[in-house]
Amino acid sequence: MVDSSARRVFHAGTTLDDLKAYMGPFAERLGYKFNTETDFVDEVLTSELEILERDGDVYCPCRIRTGDPKEDLKIVCPCIPFYRDQFAAIRKCWCGLFILNEVDDGAELLGVIEEPGAGTAVDVPVARLEDLPPDSVRRVKVGKNDIALARVGDEVFALSNICRHAFGPLAEGFVDGYHLLCPWHGWRYDVRDGTTDHPNADVKTYPVTVREGDVFVSVTIGRAR
Amino acid sequence: MDIRLYALTTCPYCRMTKRYLDDHSISYEIVEVDLLEGEERQHTIDEVKQVSGGTSFPVLVADGEVVVGFNKSRIADILGL
Repeated sequence: MVDSSARRVFHAGTTLDDLKAYMGPFAERLGYKFNTETDFVDEVLTSELEILERDGDVYCPCRIRTGDPKEDLKIVCPCIPFYRDQFAAIRKCWCGLFILNEVDDGAELLGVIEEPGAGTAVDVPVARLEDLPPDSVRRVKVGKNDIALARVGDEVFALSNICRHAFGPLAEGFVDGYHLLCPWHGWRYDVRDGTTDHPNADVKTYPVTVREGDVFVSVTIGRAR
Repeated sequence: MDIRLYALTTCPYCRMTKRYLDDHSISYEIVEVDLLEGEERQHTIDEVKQVSGGTSFPVLVADGEVVVGFNKSRIADILGL
């Protein structure tokens, strides 16, 4: 979830370069970059500046505000955090303004807006490895999956964020070797397989890969909205 | 064939779709949803959700088929271009 108090708000007089300077690094930390089609990027961002002037924020040019502030927040560009699994499956955001870091040619992704089918597995970028300090844990939400992402040395593991004891938030806990300790009552999970010392209380784990510095978690895709 | 295009004035794929239809001299009804106000806007958004399952644009409805985005090959198939 994006912390709205920390979110950059743009004002009248904002330029294309202002948008690029803010959105580029933001997207990169989420595993995305601007489309390689630079004319298309300028066209989309120019539309966003028109929308900023008309509607007060840089809403997605391909989607419409419904008037529900909570819903409308989810289409403020870059909206990647709200659609991580869907976008990873189509390798771009709805518009194609942003494409996955690992896509070389963004031209072939332009045009189609397709919702990926539910039930397919997809590798979703969730963090840059360099943003995860060794022996630390952080929470990531991917669709309906609430995940604790733990780095142990140079390895990264993903497991359910919800402790099976009293539903404590494991991502606020502590990494101790290959174990993650719940901050509430100290229940201990092996990050490699989600097992715990307590019977029938293992947590779900997710496959993790690291490619070119991006950390991917494999999830099964849910409904788009 | 009745063809209706739900579009936003700000959306690049909507512009591409319009250009494509115009280039092929296709006649169609266009609804620019972001220019609508009040009840008409809400009613149209509901309509778009119903036919496409979402609120992404453009949405082309032709011959009972629905195309979201500028999917040139699907549009060509449906319109026999």
